[in-house]
Amino acid sequence: MSVIHALPRTWAVLSAVAILIAACAAPAATTRPSAGPPTAAPATTGSATDAPATDAPATDAPASPITTGSLSVLDWSGYEDPLYWADFQTKYPDVDVNFSFGISDADIYGKMKAGDQSDLFHPYTGWLQFYVDEGLVSEIDTSRLSNWDSVPDSFKQVGMLNGKQYFVPFDWGFTSIMYRTDHVASVDSWSVLFDEQYDDHISMWDDGPGAVTVSSYIHGYDETAVTDEQLTDIQAEWTAQAPLNRTYWTAEYGELDELVRSDEVWVAYSWQGAYATLLGEGVPVAYADPQEGRNSWVGVYGINANSPNYDLALQFLDEKLGAVTGNNLVSNFYYGHTNGDVMAGITDPTLIEAFSIDDPTVLDRTNFTPNLTAEQRDDWTAMWAEVKASQ
Amino acid sequence: MGRGEGFAVAQSDPAARPAGTATTADHRPGAAGRGSSDGRRALFAWLLTPPVVFLALFLIAPLLLMGALSLREDLSGPLLQPWAPTLEHYVDLVETPSFLRLLGTSIGIAVIVAALATLLAYPLAYFLRFRAGNRAALYLLLLLVPFWTSYLLRVVAWRLMLGSEGVVNSFLMSTGLISEPISELIYSRTAVVITLVYVWIPFAALPILAALQRVDPALHEAAGDLYARPREQFFRVTLPLSLPGILIAFFMVFIPTVGEYVTPLLVGGSGGSMYGNIINDFFTRAANWPFGSMLSMVMLATTLIFTAIAVKLINVRRFLAQ
Repeated sequence: MSVIHALPRTWAVLSAVAILIAACAAPAATTRPSAGPPTAAPATTGSATDAPATDAPATDAPASPITTGSLSVLDWSGYEDPLYWADFQTKYPDVDVNFSFGISDADIYGKMKAGDQSDLFHPYTGWLQFYVDEGLVSEIDTSRLSNWDSVPDSFKQVGMLNGKQYFVPFDWGFTSIMYRTDHVASVDSWSVLFDEQYDDHISMWDDGPGAVTVSSYIHGYDETAVTDEQLTDIQAEWTAQAPLNRTYWTAEYGELDELVRSDEVWVAYSWQGAYATLLGEGVPVAYADPQEGRNSWVGVYGINANSPNYDLALQFLDEKLGAVTGNNLVSNFYYGHTNGDVMAGITDPTLIEAFSIDDPTVLDRTNFTPNLTAEQRDDWTAMWAEVKASQ
Repeated sequence: MGRGEGFAVAQSDPAARPAGTATTADHRPGAAGRGSSDGRRALFAWLLTPPVVFLALFLIAPLLLMGALSLREDLSGPLLQPWAPTLEHYVDLVETPSFLRLLGTSIGIAVIVAALATLLAYPLAYFLRFRAGNRAALYLLLLLVPFWTSYLLRVVAWRLMLGSEGVVNSFLMSTGLISEPISELIYSRTAVVITLVYVWIPFAALPILAALQRVDPALHEAAGDLYARPREQFFRVTLPLSLPGILIAFFMVFIPTVGEYVTPLLVGGSGGSMYGNIINDFFTRAANWPFGSMLSMVMLATTLIFTAIAVKLINVRRFLAQ
């Protein structure tokens, strides 16, 4: 203590200066997206001026693709495997691709918001609007994506906000109820998550908006316009459900699959990746086709509005839609790919079952995840925190 | 030890020193004494620079930012633009009793965990100090072996131990003691307490061991000479002398446990969330940093109160021990 007293006040001054430097330096970096309109990069078709840092001369990007340099991707753990960007790696072996990771949509959004310098990022439906509103994402010049025509319009629509294409859809899948057929005869409604018969053997995803979605399906609420009263009821409903719930899962692989495999959980809110994995292993599981309809989600890639590598990032996205990458995604992750040709070529019976490819009407009965508003995001996640805090 | 103490004396403020212990430097001819003292100060200033800069940059500055963020309405707009401070999140907290109740529950869990860990660590430390003899160093090393494995892995391992088909349940089922797995063993607050106590025991043993190291075995002989039975020797000599270590162990476990979130996330289940989980949720699942910052500041303030109590208690005990 005394040494600190004995020292001159330089420490206080130094730390104040340090904080000031940090505070002054940071805005310069974080305000860059808003300095120019977020659409600046793709609007000027040449966009060579936006890519001064790359060592390749970006004179006419579409005609002469960039073959060296480096790209960084803010992704979910697992997607860094070259299997899931195989086409790009084959075509541009000299481009260095680096990955960093987020653990949830909120986490990825938070990182982007804090000025993450990754060229590309990977959010999911529900969490797209904020990136556009906050100017964090560049518009996609789809004319430069050779694989774009293979993407069905319904998927293209997902990445289109305010009338502009901001995101390239990549992976998709269902959400429904997975259940163990050795304990549960059949499931025809999302309300099975509240069924006392399965006390202590139910597992819900640890997510507020997910809980609001399920309740909306069950009660026929309009998911995009949940009222305060409805939200209060939803909170009460999930607070009452918590004792029936074994645990809320946060990871599909390594947690949800393990819970069902080990017989800890019989009924779970589940994406079809875990379902297909367990089905493939011979675990007695089935995937419900609830009367309220399944839910479907789509993962998309966006280009950081701040990225100096816009052209290279576009090339990466084009190759993400490639057939080898798509087939790897389908057969290893059991997620759907947004290249329609890839999906049309599936022959594996497990995958046909997982994607309900043999049921042409399933998509008509599927509810696509709508985008949240900032207010819904804050209210619904706070509601969920209260559910967890009330136990 | 002796060197360390000398060091401590040298760096303490001359004014605070009892008159009798004034160092010889003060009695040396003026110029030389002053020079040596200034030299020491300069040396300490240099030695202190790296940690102070580090802490200022990576502890104090983020804390200030977090405090500022807790007064921000929401995250919209550039992160470091000026904003009008608002206390609305603090008001929200007061109006949301479940969060405050959870803070209370978390403090309760932390007290239980800290008490159990300290209680179980004491015999370990006692054994290492007075019974292990030459092998003490080896045993100490063994005690620390678990730290070579990731904390996360060890907690996940507890799932294998406590799960429905885990080691404990399988064993009990095979012996016929139970017919159905005890589901309370995992995904409950009990599981959180068991796991945390396990994790903290070796940590808690270290300060107790340090305190016991300072207990001179001759004191036991002296107590024995005065006809103190072993139990009296322990309760009237060893235990009071090791109290500072016990208190340090208790608070060293208690304070981080209040904000714990990994263990409850992995073994706590739906009903096992602690206050730290809610903070984590507001950052990583809600992208609501202002609310999460507010919750953190409240926890920090609460923990500081307990730290103040700890500092007070430990100093008093040291004073009494002398």
